[in-house]
Amino acid sequence: MKSFILLAFAALFTNNIAFAQIDNSVTVSAKIYGNCGMCKNSIEKAADKKKISKAIWDKDTKLANITYNSTKTSLDAVLKDIALAGYDNQSFLAPDDAYNKLPECCKYKRENKQPAVAQTLQPAPSSHENHEEHNQSKQDNTIKSTNQLTAVFDSYFTLKDALVKTDGNQASVKAKELKTAIEAVKMDKLGMDVHTVWMKLVNGLTEDAEHINETKDIAHQRDHFMRLSKNMYELMKVSKTSAPVYYQFCPMANNGKGANWLSREAGIKNPYYGAQMLTCGKTVETIQQ
Amino acid sequence: MAIQKVIYKKLLPLTTLFIFLLCAGYSQKVVRYDLYVKDTLVAFAGKEKRAIAVNGQIPMPTLSFTEGDTAEIHVHNLLKEETSLHWHGLFLPNKEDGVPNLTQMPIKPGTTHIYRFPIIQHGTHWYHSHSGLQEQIGMYGSMILNKRSADIEKRKDVDGLPTVPLILSEWTNYKPDNVHRMLHNATDWFALKKNAVQSYGEAIGAGHFKTKLRNEWKRMLAMDVSDVYYDKILMNGKPESVIDTVDGKKLKAGDKVRLRISNGAASSYFWLRYAGGKITVVANDGNDVVPVEVDRLIIAVSETYDIVLNIPAEGTAYELLATTEDRTNSASVYIGSGIKQLISPLPRLKYFEGMKMMNDMMKMNGDLDDMGMNMSLNQMDMNVVMYPEITGEVKPKQKEDDPNRYNANALSDIVTLNYAMLKAPEKTTLPDVPVKVLQFELTGNMNRYVWSMNNKVVSETDKILVKKGENLRLLIYNGSMMRHPMHLHGHDFRVLNGQGEYAPLKNVIDIMPMETDTLEFNANVEGDWFFHCHILYHMMSGMGRVFSYKDQQPNPLILNPKLAQRKLFADDRKMHFMFQNDVATNGNDGEMMLQNTRWSIGTEWRLGYNDMHGYETETHIGRYIGKMQWLMPFIGFDWRYRKMGLHAEEKNMFGQSNTKDNRAVISAGLNYTLPMLVRFQGEIFTDGIVRLQLMREDIPLTKRLRFAFMVNTDKEYMTGLHYIFSRALAVRTHYDSDMGFGAGFTFAY
Repeated sequence: MKSFILLAFAALFTNNIAFAQIDNSVTVSAKIYGNCGMCKNSIEKAADKKKISKAIWDKDTKLANITYNSTKTSLDAVLKDIALAGYDNQSFLAPDDAYNKLPECCKYKRENKQPAVAQTLQPAPSSHENHEEHNQSKQDNTIKSTNQLTAVFDSYFTLKDALVKTDGNQASVKAKELKTAIEAVKMDKLGMDVHTVWMKLVNGLTEDAEHINETKDIAHQRDHFMRLSKNMYELMKVSKTSAPVYYQFCPMANNGKGANWLSREAGIKNPYYGAQMLTCGKTVETIQQ
Repeated sequence: MAIQKVIYKKLLPLTTLFIFLLCAGYSQKVVRYDLYVKDTLVAFAGKEKRAIAVNGQIPMPTLSFTEGDTAEIHVHNLLKEETSLHWHGLFLPNKEDGVPNLTQMPIKPGTTHIYRFPIIQHGTHWYHSHSGLQEQIGMYGSMILNKRSADIEKRKDVDGLPTVPLILSEWTNYKPDNVHRMLHNATDWFALKKNAVQSYGEAIGAGHFKTKLRNEWKRMLAMDVSDVYYDKILMNGKPESVIDTVDGKKLKAGDKVRLRISNGAASSYFWLRYAGGKITVVANDGNDVVPVEVDRLIIAVSETYDIVLNIPAEGTAYELLATTEDRTNSASVYIGSGIKQLISPLPRLKYFEGMKMMNDMMKMNGDLDDMGMNMSLNQMDMNVVMYPEITGEVKPKQKEDDPNRYNANALSDIVTLNYAMLKAPEKTTLPDVPVKVLQFELTGNMNRYVWSMNNKVVSETDKILVKKGENLRLLIYNGSMMRHPMHLHGHDFRVLNGQGEYAPLKNVIDIMPMETDTLEFNANVEGDWFFHCHILYHMMSGMGRVFSYKDQQPNPLILNPKLAQRKLFADDRKMHFMFQNDVATNGNDGEMMLQNTRWSIGTEWRLGYNDMHGYETETHIGRYIGKMQWLMPFIGFDWRYRKMGLHAEEKNMFGQSNTKDNRAVISAGLNYTLPMLVRFQGEIFTDGIVRLQLMREDIPLTKRLRFAFMVNTDKEYMTGLHYIFSRALAVRTHYDSDMGFGAGFTFAY
């Protein structure tokens, strides 16, 4: 009898150990992107909170069984922690820097991440309403061309930012976006003057964007960025930009021959050296509208 | 003819009046709000706690007006205590400003007070209680003053955007009165909660033993960038929320949204960062600025910023993350609809790098030394040495003599907003009249939580008299170790930031340690206007001044100015109570104290469990002297009873003998804080006996373990260890030369 009670106690005790880890537990299945066994470790580690939540992830189905204490946390809170570790999932996209820090084998395809669209243009100030008709159409033209080239300029600047950070992977991604933006430009909608310049530059622009996209070698990317920046400068000179753009020059780049780049900020952030010599250079021209 | 004249004379004023009324009726819409202030219970952080809700909500309802309206706000006080409401950043007649005991008497429980004033400006503002610590527990809300429609057209690219007001705040499960009391008793409980104790053990682990030693040598307690630990951060009352529609229109990719953000927190600064790219700052403290693109900005307590955010892609909501300056907590709002794009949280502060920086800046006499850097306008942020995202994860990479070593924007490619980047869109020059220059030093001391201006608190100073019409220029230097958001009531000031005639207009300026900023404004509205630090606990400690116009009309709401002043001064004269008692196997000892800005009344006791061990108490009443308050002369009263038997007489180190068996004496003495924070006490008693003593009770060995020692010329000594379990409870073991070895529990309040 005695031993039976003891046994019962023991059973109860082990039972407790096995199931009392997470109270009020709820288990659900959630989609989490990832590739390999390393991802599995990181995902499960991110979800593992003592007595509060845990996850078991399957790399083939990309599904995780997430068990959590529903009075202490929520599914979204667990998924947020997983995303902060670098893994996109059904509710959250990982911060870009967290994704970039993942080991190479874990860099899954980011299916849920949507490409950026061109910004919707703000309504023009109504004080321009009474302009003469040809003035009006000219203005329309300018707006169209600006609108068309905005995406090109935007991706140039993000590419530049990636080079400032000496991030070859990111630069490659941004160069791809630049190439896409260049291809999306409808030449016939550009203003006359812009059209001419565009015709002259488009091949060079595309070529440099392609080269930067194809490699992750930062030195090679920076070589192409020199010519890309020169062409971009000519384009910006003729088309209209909404905010001032600064044409900047570092005398040390290009083996001491110097090289230029464009920036939306007056402060110097050198894309040819990055952190090595971040503030080397000066503004040589300010392009205003 | 005569009749005609009479009619003419009588009619003209009447008609003018009529026309005036007509005009007034046309343009002056009266907008009325009824606010019911009531006690409530909330559970923001797990437990049900008392809070104050207005019209049943926290934050208080958003009040909107259009420039030209007349505001009429009926405040119904359904609390059991007094209240008031201050309209932060608004230009209004002084009696509507809502500072209890200064511009009006407090709104008594069960009564209604009506505020009525014309709206003569536009912009993002907010409102809050100015009574006691009510702002901490719910009494804050957005106040949006819209532009006239003709003015909107002028800046349609900003003012035509979909707009959402957001108010930031924090929540603690502790009662604010208790928070205030704990701060005045130099609690390290908040540091413990934040994992920022910076003990010797942690210092050795981080290779910073020398840094810690030097820090204590210079008599500094471990510093943090903020004082209070909060359980939750809220944006519009929620730690997380989504903005996917504005005015019934769903947000889509390519849209821009304007957020009108006010920091309604009592003592927290917030970093604002956005997952969808750059943040465009378009207004500050309710005044438009030339749009400026940044990666992040810090919003000081009580500031407002208008920012414009892009929604870059379809089917995605982008996180706007507000992180407290100490980085222990945050709140998120997601802009857009769909899957949520996150931004990485800010990495933990490198506390020991900060300590090292403070060591370099602190002179032995407690003054700060900026080493010739002439800091101003938040451009140089000494705290960057603690920011891993700017200065790297481990060792700072910048050199000792680099002029940019504290300039965040030069050290990294992250663009951080500072005041020098703000520019007014139109000229803001003042009328050409005589200028009165006033200089202030922001002073204070963390150890005793005393905050003041020119080393004086509100109750120790007279009002500063100004002449209506003159210009005032304020030169403010922060000589304390904390940053202070200084707020001026009823006026906007120009911040002289290098933008010349386009200096931006603000009503709050955050001044970091060692910075000097210059502000100027035209004294154009009569009244008594408060100028104070907006960190609630600093304000309540007396960090402020009152600007008072000469020869002004008496305020009709202040019937008894003497009484009002006494009640206003009571805030910083308040005594803070602390109590501690150790019940151990060898006896019972403890202390209690009442302290305020200058005075300290304290009693210590050591009670044995038998006559041989004896019973003794010491009571000291003292006054703290000097800026750093290291010196405290006092008078005391000692009483002791003991039955020793053998060795009934003891000799002290000076050869004076003393039975100690039954002694009641009065004393005069002084306390002085020595380097390493050791407290020296010298005391001479009425029976001629002199006693010198050294002691320290809170040497942090690890996060929770403290070491104590005491030694004196009566050949008494004590040494002990205590381990902090919770805010109120510690386990203590000690050896006392009178009582022997003991172990027990310490209760603290």
